[in-house]
Amino acid sequence: MEQIVFFVLGFVVLASALTVAASKNLVRSIFMFFVTLFALAGLYVFALADFVAITQVVIYVGGVLVLMLFAFMLTNKEVLNNLQQGSKRFISLQKLPALLVAVLFLLILVNAIIKAQPDNLAWIQASAQSGNVISPTDNMVPNIGISLMTRYLLPFEAVSIFLMMALIGAAHLARKEEHKF
Amino acid sequence: MNFYLIYIAVALGLFAFAALFALFGVYAERKVSAFIQDRLGPTETGKFGSLQTFADILKMLQKELITPAAADKVLFVLAPFIIFIAVYLGFAVMPWGPGLVPVSLNIGLFYVFAIISIETLGIMMAGWGSNNKYSLLGAMRSVAQVISYEIPAGFAIISVVMIAQTLDLQQISLQQGTLSTVTIKFLGFANVTHIGGILSWNIFRAPHLIIAFIIYFIASLAECNRAPFDIPEAESELVAGFHTEYTGLRFAFVFLAEYSMMFLVSMLAVVLFLGAWNTPLPNMGTVHLADWTTGWGWGILWISLKSLALVGVQMWIRWTLPRFRIDQLMNLCWKVLTPLAFVCMLISGVWRLLLM
Repeated sequence: MEQIVFFVLGFVVLASALTVAASKNLVRSIFMFFVTLFALAGLYVFALADFVAITQVVIYVGGVLVLMLFAFMLTNKEVLNNLQQGSKRFISLQKLPALLVAVLFLLILVNAIIKAQPDNLAWIQASAQSGNVISPTDNMVPNIGISLMTRYLLPFEAVSIFLMMALIGAAHLARKEEHKF
Repeated sequence: MNFYLIYIAVALGLFAFAALFALFGVYAERKVSAFIQDRLGPTETGKFGSLQTFADILKMLQKELITPAAADKVLFVLAPFIIFIAVYLGFAVMPWGPGLVPVSLNIGLFYVFAIISIETLGIMMAGWGSNNKYSLLGAMRSVAQVISYEIPAGFAIISVVMIAQTLDLQQISLQQGTLSTVTIKFLGFANVTHIGGILSWNIFRAPHLIIAFIIYFIASLAECNRAPFDIPEAESELVAGFHTEYTGLRFAFVFLAEYSMMFLVSMLAVVLFLGAWNTPLPNMGTVHLADWTTGWGWGILWISLKSLALVGVQMWIRWTLPRFRIDQLMNLCWKVLTPLAFVCMLISGVWRLLLM
C-alpha cells in the first residue's frame, strides 16, 4: 500500500515537473508547479520529515508561488504573449545549450549517486546498528527546535540577519522619495 | 481494511457537516442581517423562512454551468474545488472532544495554518481563470489581504504555542480542562487543575492571550474575506470579486468554502483560546459540574456552541461595520496588529519562564 502511494507521488512529481518545463502557458505552468510542490511534500512525509513537508507547503505554496503569480499578473500581457511565441519544434538550435546543460547535469547527478552508494554508507549503517533511527510515531518538532537553538544557532542567526537586510532593502526601495522644495 | 472504512465515513461526515453548516449559516446570516437592519428577512418558504436556503440550493443545482469564452477553462473549472478542498482538509485535525479527533497530528496546528494558505492559490486561479478585470482585481486584493493578515495571526498563534508547548491541537485542548496532565494556573498563581471550567481556558491562564485572541479574531475575519475586510468582493466596486463569473454548482462551492472557512477559523480560535471542547462550568465544592459535563458528547456540544457563538459575532460585525479602505486595512495590519502580536509573543516567553 505504502509503496503504491510512494510511486504514485513520485510519478506525479516527475510528470508535473516535466509539464512545468514544457508548457507554453506560463500561468498554467505555475499552477502545475503547485502540484509538483504538493506531491514533493508528500514524498517528504515518506522520509518521516513531516515538519519539512508542512514548511514546504507554507513557504512555497503560500509564499513563493503566490509571489510569482503576483509578478505575472502585474506584468504586461504583451510580454507574456511574446514568450508564448517560441519555436514549436522540440529540438532546435535555440534549445541546444539548454539541452546540453540539462544532459550534463543529469550525468553529474547519476555519477554522484553511483559513486556515493547511498545504500551502504558507513554512518547510516552505524546508526542503524546502534538503533539511532526515528520511527513514524516520533515527535520531531522539539528536536528541530532544540537543534536550531543550540547546534545550528549561528547559521540560524546569520539567515535571520540576511532576511532582515532583504526586508530593510525592500522597504527602502519601495519608499516614496521625499519632496525637496 | 476496517479502518479505511472509518476514514471514509469520517471524511463523509465532515463533508456533510460542512454542507449542513453552510445551509444553516446562510439562513442565520439572513436572519441576523434582517434583525440588525430592522427587516424581517426570509419569511415565505417554510416556517419563518427556514426552508429558504434549501430552495436556494435546489435552484443553484439546476442552473447552467456557464464558462466564459475567453476564460482559461481548466483553471476556471478547477478553482472552486481547490478553494473548497483547502478549507475542508483543515477540518482533518480539528478536535471535537476527548479522544474524538479525525487525525491527531503532532504538528496539527502548523498543518491547519499551511493548508489554509492553499485557499489563496485557489482564489488566484479563479481570478486569473475568469479572464475578467473585476475577478482579477478581486483576487489580487484578496491575496494581498490574506498574506498580510497571516503574519499577526501567526504570531498570535505562536504566543499560544509558547504557553502550551505543543503543536498538537488535541494536546492544547487537553491542557485547558480537568483532564489536563499538567498543572493549570489561573492568571499564573491559583492552581485550578481540578477546578477546570472557564478558569482554566488559555485566555485566563495567561491574560495577555485575550489580546492575542482579539488579534487572531480580527485577522481571521480578513482571512475569510468577511466584512469589514470584504474589499475582495466589494459589491459596490467589483460586482462580486473573484467569483463574478461563477454560476450554479461552482458558485455553490465557493460559497460552501466561505462558510466552512468561517467555522474553521472560529473553531481554531476556540481550540487555541477558549478552552476547546472543555466545559465553561467549574467544579465548585461538592458540585462537580466540570466533571459531569466533560465527555465526548459534551465535547461536541461545547465546541459547536462556542464556535457558533464566534460565527455569530462574525455575522454581527459584518452587518455593523462599514468596509475598510485598502490603506486603512494595511495600516491596521502592519502598524497596529503586527507590533501588538510581537508584544504578545514576548510576554508569552516571559510568562512561560517566570510564572509556569
